[in-house]
Amino acid sequence: MVIALGTGSYAGLSSVTEWRRTSTDDAYAQLRMFDLRVELADGTTVATSELESKARSMPSAGGIELASERLVTEIQVDASTADETIVVPGLLYGIDLLNGGPDVNRFYVPEGRVLTEADRGDDVALLEYNFTRYYELLPGNQVTISGGQTLMDVGHAMTPEYFFVTTERGGFLAEANFAAVFTSLETAQEMSDKPGRVNDLLITTKPGADVEAMREDLTRLFAEYGAEVITRAEDPAYRLNDSDIKGDQQIYEIFAVLIVGGAVGAAFNLSTRIVDAQRREIGIAMAMGLPPGRIAVRPMLVGAQVALLGVVLGLGVGYVIGNSLISLAKELMPLPEWKTDFQFDLFASVAIIGFLLPLIATAWPVWRAVRVPPIETIRPAYRSGRGGGLAPMLRWLHLPGNTMQQAPLRNIVRAPRRSLVTGLGIAAALAALVAFVGMIDSFITTIDRGDSEILGDSPDRIEVSLAGFFPVAGGLANQIEGSPLIGAAEPGLSFAGRMVGNGTEIDAQIDLLNLESEIWRPSLIDGSFDRSKPGIYISELASRDLAAAVGSTVELQHPRLQADGSVTIVSSHLTVLGVHPHPFRFATYMDINQASIFGTPGLMNRMSVVPAEGVSDSDVKRALISLPGVASMESVGDIAAAIRDLLDEFVVVLRVVEVAMLLIALLIAFNAASINIDERTREHATMFAFGVPVGTVMRMTMVENLILGIGATIAGVVGGWFLLRLIISTRVEDTMPDIYIKPYVSETTLLVTLFLGVVCVTFAPLLMWRKLSKMDVPGSLKVVE
Amino acid sequence: MIELTGVTKAYGEAENPVKALDDVTLVIPDGQFVVVLGPSGSGKTTFLNIIGALDTPTSGTVSVAGTDITGASRRELAAIRRTSVCFVFQSFNLFPGLTALENVQFGIDASGRHTGPPAHEVLESVGLGGRLNQFPHQLSGGEQQRIAVARALATGNPILLADEPTGELDFQTGVRILQLLRDQVGPGRVVLVVTHNREIARCADRVIELSGGRIVRDGEPEGGRANVADLFW
Repeated sequence: MVIALGTGSYAGLSSVTEWRRTSTDDAYAQLRMFDLRVELADGTTVATSELESKARSMPSAGGIELASERLVTEIQVDASTADETIVVPGLLYGIDLLNGGPDVNRFYVPEGRVLTEADRGDDVALLEYNFTRYYELLPGNQVTISGGQTLMDVGHAMTPEYFFVTTERGGFLAEANFAAVFTSLETAQEMSDKPGRVNDLLITTKPGADVEAMREDLTRLFAEYGAEVITRAEDPAYRLNDSDIKGDQQIYEIFAVLIVGGAVGAAFNLSTRIVDAQRREIGIAMAMGLPPGRIAVRPMLVGAQVALLGVVLGLGVGYVIGNSLISLAKELMPLPEWKTDFQFDLFASVAIIGFLLPLIATAWPVWRAVRVPPIETIRPAYRSGRGGGLAPMLRWLHLPGNTMQQAPLRNIVRAPRRSLVTGLGIAAALAALVAFVGMIDSFITTIDRGDSEILGDSPDRIEVSLAGFFPVAGGLANQIEGSPLIGAAEPGLSFAGRMVGNGTEIDAQIDLLNLESEIWRPSLIDGSFDRSKPGIYISELASRDLAAAVGSTVELQHPRLQADGSVTIVSSHLTVLGVHPHPFRFATYMDINQASIFGTPGLMNRMSVVPAEGVSDSDVKRALISLPGVASMESVGDIAAAIRDLLDEFVVVLRVVEVAMLLIALLIAFNAASINIDERTREHATMFAFGVPVGTVMRMTMVENLILGIGATIAGVVGGWFLLRLIISTRVEDTMPDIYIKPYVSETTLLVTLFLGVVCVTFAPLLMWRKLSKMDVPGSLKVVE
Repeated sequence: MIELTGVTKAYGEAENPVKALDDVTLVIPDGQFVVVLGPSGSGKTTFLNIIGALDTPTSGTVSVAGTDITGASRRELAAIRRTSVCFVFQSFNLFPGLTALENVQFGIDASGRHTGPPAHEVLESVGLGGRLNQFPHQLSGGEQQRIAVARALATGNPILLADEPTGELDFQTGVRILQLLRDQVGPGRVVLVVTHNREIARCADRVIELSGGRIVRDGEPEGGRANVADLFW
């Protein structure tokens, strides 16, 4: 069963990652995901066709296969239904539908209908599928976007950029708080009040094209627009999907090593027991002249049977796990086509390893047995007084109580190899449990940390993004501040940039705010607020990665608004004045009185508002959405709540693994108890002959398991902790480099581990109560002749 | 001390049972060294198991140390074993994880009788006072069996049952063990040795010979009782 669970879990889980990889790669190809993307700086647009024609003029233009221009605008989306208020920030994508477009980043529409050339200029749209799935929306309803404009939702679309929903502010699993809306280019241009304008270009490249050279050309070409050029690998959703698959597989491999290691240990113990029980027969056979090879056949066949049975059962386990999880994956990420062919190669290789390793574990005690001089195995004295292991070392140690209380510890140390293998097997399963569940604990505490930081003392705060720069003492500001629904409001600025230091470059989301605000300001773990000093407040992770402590200087590359309204990217060197504990690396703060560095003194492009007493945030959002100039709004409390909801879905996967670990640890403990009871049949029979009650003998066995369990639990928790740190430091840095996840194991996880490793292992022998109480004492007392 | 009346132990089908013991009736008072003799399959081990409260008869009554154990439950039988009988086995059956002293102490702990001589004295009485802290695997067969005898004696129980105690020992060692067992007989105690070795029966006070589950002879040894030192096999 241990072999079956170990090999089956690994094969099943690995099948899922292979299916994910194959199916998403296929989807990227079918939906023609971009290879290069040019995104102009916020607020910058150019005339339609200008982006593509400029791109086709660059030296490496021969590598362009297809190109699609888009207009991407920040919006607020009201998709409320009769039962639920749904007002979230999002992006409006204006797509070129001419000639059956878009040519790049096409759509798979599992619900509703696609957009066609006939929809150009109409008020119809596709909504992003993950968002509609979260809120269980159906096509055919109207949605309202910023400025009170409405669109008819005709279909729900999957597109490669949103296989995982991420946001600029580092949101992931953000489908509850972010809505991408896709409409025709003409419709988007009209609704954004940007007729004939575009700000985004997607390119697919021909096979063999020099993508890096093309990227450099594009960067140079569009530098005047403050453009960012990324490759497919840098797209957040692509990167998350890719590294998530890789990371999952790495984790499965780590756990497979642990679980199969436990299985090997169990097989080793079993085969040792079998060989020990047949020691006399082996000795007699050797004395009669049978060659060791022939003698070894029978116990090896037993080992092979066990391994084979485990592998065959494992195929079934793997099939069930794989198919269960892929059903979940298909629901979470509907793709044009899921390729779920049976992974014959994978199952075959896992089966071979799952068969060979226990067989090798069997070979070792068999090899030892056939090397012992025959007379040693035949002589009764040898059998009855065979070896004390490490027990002689403990002869001077007298635990409190009578001889029956000394026995458990002595029994452990007189078979040190078996005790160690058993303990390690249990520890391996527990380590896997601690590491795996610890990952979720770490993730949740990170969310809590971010939650606590961002909510601060104003958990009902709403961050309002504006469609451009507005005066802080102007009409829009007055409209918002003067609304009876608003209790307090503060202007702010927000820019995307990069920080450089220690040979590292990281993204920065720079928020300028009043650092003496009563609405909200970040907390600090180092440094202090000083509005009089120019400087920057960076995150703990940024401080680590840039090697930038308080007082040091970092280079900030950021946009600067020019007098003519264009945006250029400049570098400023700023002193680090403080370090804040928000887990997002890119979260960066400056005082708003430094706005001149960005060329925006006296301007704002966002506001922080707090609803008036008795007013809900939905009321505020509904009121503000109709204001021209308001692009989107986000309640700070909604983000983490939605992530927690989505985590519940992924926890299903973890429960499968958790149950597997639990079963494996219990099986190893039961296996060990069963072997111990078989091994000590004559000792127990002797005790019964002297009138010792069954309960006393069972208690001794349980105490032995308790000692083993305590040791295994300590090793498992310590091992699991180091494994958790390893996984987080390697996997998370790849998958989510912008999030500071600190390893953490919750009290609940520790208690579950303790319960499993100590309590369940201790009580595992109780399953043998009937066997013990029904023992044929006279028969067991005799040496079998 | 031991009383069997019409004891039969049958196995197998009701129509054609195999009788390990067939209508055995006897009384064994204290103060006797009794040898139960018989070849393999004669029923002598079954006989020992029933007296030792390890098994119950199919029919008949059994009384041990004044207690009728005929219909006793497993728990009651265990209590009898704790307080009335003790065993010495052919294969010694010492606990390999405990020292010689601890093995003997086990006898005291199992019976709960802490009023008798302490374990080390019992060990000294069997001539192993210098081996207290040795483990069984560090001792010879004869030494192990002497520890087993000490363990049985340490219980203080009146009925000592030995199943082929010399079976795995050489002649000289076996003689020593036999003498040790012989020396334990006295008022309030009976020693019962099961064996197939006729020579051992010569040193008994009483020989009960079994064949086919029935007592075929019950009395003094043929040719009179011999000293243990005069035995040879």
